Amino acid sequence: MPKKPAQNTTTDPTNESASLGVPEGKRTESASKVTRVPSTLDKAGLMERRKAPRIATTPPAPDAPPKFDDYGPIVGEAELSEIRYVAETLRGRSVKMVNSTAVGGGVAEILNRLIPLMNELEVPTKWDVITGGNDFFEVTKGFHNALHGEKYDLTKAIEDIFLSYNEQNRQRMTFDEDVVVIHDPQPANLIKSRGQKKDQKWVWRCHIDLSNPHAGVWEFLRPMVEQYDATIWSSPAFTRQVKVPQYLFYPSIDPLSQKNKPVEESYVAKVCDDFGIDRNRPIITQISRFDRLKDPVGVVQAYKMARKYVDCQLVLAGGGATDDPEGAVVLAEVQEAAGGDPDIIILNLPPWSALEINAIQMASDIVIQKSLREGFGLTVTEALWKSKPVIAGAVGGIPTQVIHKLTGMLVQSVEGCAYQIRYLLTHPEFAAQLGRNGREHVRENFLITSNMKRWLLLYQILLGVAKKEKAA
Amino acid sequence: MVATQSKQSNTLTAKKEFVFNSAAYLLRIGTERARSLKELLEGLRVVPDSSIFQHMFQTLAEHHYIREGFSNDFAHWAFFSCNETGLAERLAGIDVREYTSIKDMRQQIILVIEEYLKKNTASADRQALETFYFCSSDTVVIPTTFKARSLEEFTEGLRRVSLHSIHYHFINARLRIKLNSNDFSQWLEEELGLNDLADKFEAIDIYTSTLDGVRRQMVKLAESESGNARKAA
Repeated sequence: MPKKPAQNTTTDPTNESASLGVPEGKRTESASKVTRVPSTLDKAGLMERRKAPRIATTPPAPDAPPKFDDYGPIVGEAELSEIRYVAETLRGRSVKMVNSTAVGGGVAEILNRLIPLMNELEVPTKWDVITGGNDFFEVTKGFHNALHGEKYDLTKAIEDIFLSYNEQNRQRMTFDEDVVVIHDPQPANLIKSRGQKKDQKWVWRCHIDLSNPHAGVWEFLRPMVEQYDATIWSSPAFTRQVKVPQYLFYPSIDPLSQKNKPVEESYVAKVCDDFGIDRNRPIITQISRFDRLKDPVGVVQAYKMARKYVDCQLVLAGGGATDDPEGAVVLAEVQEAAGGDPDIIILNLPPWSALEINAIQMASDIVIQKSLREGFGLTVTEALWKSKPVIAGAVGGIPTQVIHKLTGMLVQSVEGCAYQIRYLLTHPEFAAQLGRNGREHVRENFLITSNMKRWLLLYQILLGVAKKEKAA
Repeated sequence: MVATQSKQSNTLTAKKEFVFNSAAYLLRIGTERARSLKELLEGLRVVPDSSIFQHMFQTLAEHHYIREGFSNDFAHWAFFSCNETGLAERLAGIDVREYTSIKDMRQQIILVIEEYLKKNTASADRQALETFYFCSSDTVVIPTTFKARSLEEFTEGLRRVSLHSIHYHFINARLRIKLNSNDFSQWLEEELGLNDLADKFEAIDIYTSTLDGVRRQMVKLAESESGNARKAA
């Protein structure tokens, strides 16, 4: 029966001061609401610190891993309850994840956080790591670069090394779980063990951008990939046309990790003092490795253009200049481009600086990620989560996160970046709105809890325990 | 009429309880992609219904916190990647709440683009800044613990369920019940006889408010109904 014509309501759609339901009371969170603790140093002290920043020389003690319920205040109890329900439907089902390294790298970082939470929800999830000699990892590094489009000489000998180490691992491992998830190309041929358990499902999770791969390497891997029941990708732009279903899983951040957890304002002030960052003037930041694809020199140029009109400082913080020869070269290029400008603070940080990076992001008025090429760009996710207005290059997975003028500003050039710095610094209300939208965008799509939910839903669908609804 | 309705509303008990469900969505990447409006049109003719659903309905849940400038993925792409403002405005004007079937909605989207390209022939093959990837979503229904037989219980449910549940009952419901209505209004009208409240729910503008804002408007309307009933009593 058709409805009667609609009537106008008398409610006030703009009254959004009191938030209901999920996430309860969290929508007012914003870095901009925090009262800044000013620097304890005078100008001379700050300048001195810039020359000799206090950088931690040893890693801090790790935090205790979070429990599932710890995410309630962040995403809301209703969301946790839904995830718990999906997990309950999978009781008695088991999962194995396999990748190529237990420490270091984005995949290991994700699995280290994800797997304990899955086990806490009683979806038994094991994690196995393949082993191999230097020759194997040289081959897989070559594959990695080739799959990103670099030239590569694929020979029969290389293929044999790849296949023989996969076979050794296959013989060593057992695969009696309901779902087996293989991460990235290195262990792709473990699929030969498919069928060790009845109705077992195999999933290939590709974390890399295959939009422009070396044809030979991809054609070598494709027959393996097409034996899986499903594949998972970080962006539609990263996919290849394969004969198996392709699912989209955005990468995610953990809001309770050292890089993203809330930090005391006093700690933010201390870190700024340690690095000579003046909290009384606007702070523009780019966090990234010293890598030409992150265009740090372009950021310096944009800052210098903007600086003619607005007072600000630039912080370029990252790593990779100590252990990577190219990183050291790029760092030198950035220092040269900075030309001794005392308001450009360049910090080459060690890998254990997550908490310091968190504090620098929190202290920033604008975060830039002016990449020329990018994977997903989790530094953008981190900045959005901290309610920061973001200016970013429209490449890779960045446009998925930065919706132009809604959750941040996309730029294509140094000039565009310079203009947006000026605009956002002179329009703080608009900048704050971008920050608020950005945080909600991350809360909805790019947190570890969303990632957990996607994994559980996929298991449900593959194992046939989901109550699916068809689009009418 | 309203006074009579309000007077009763606090004591009404539904024969059939309202069961709050929620839904979760898993995104599938389709094989179709478009680098121009012509290719978008070709894709629109062949993609599965679940793809139209994803880009028209589901995107509202993914971007529920945005109050302006984002109505559906096709309009967004036409604006930001194709720089076709006129087309973007027309596509954005396609209100998901006016459709009870994907088939009709698909036809309307195609019609809008065809008409635009007839008048703007040069736009058909112009390369977009970014490729449009057709995706679709597998929808999984998730029950919640919230149920209601009275207006009070119903209001409490509205306050406490997730925004995914609000989206499921308020926006996606049309495709399920095949009516220009939603699960909430349907229940308020059929089970509690609160026709005015049902209509007010239906008149809430989903495109100028966040989904949390929509929820708050519904709670406020329901509370107002209860308040009027208390006064009338």
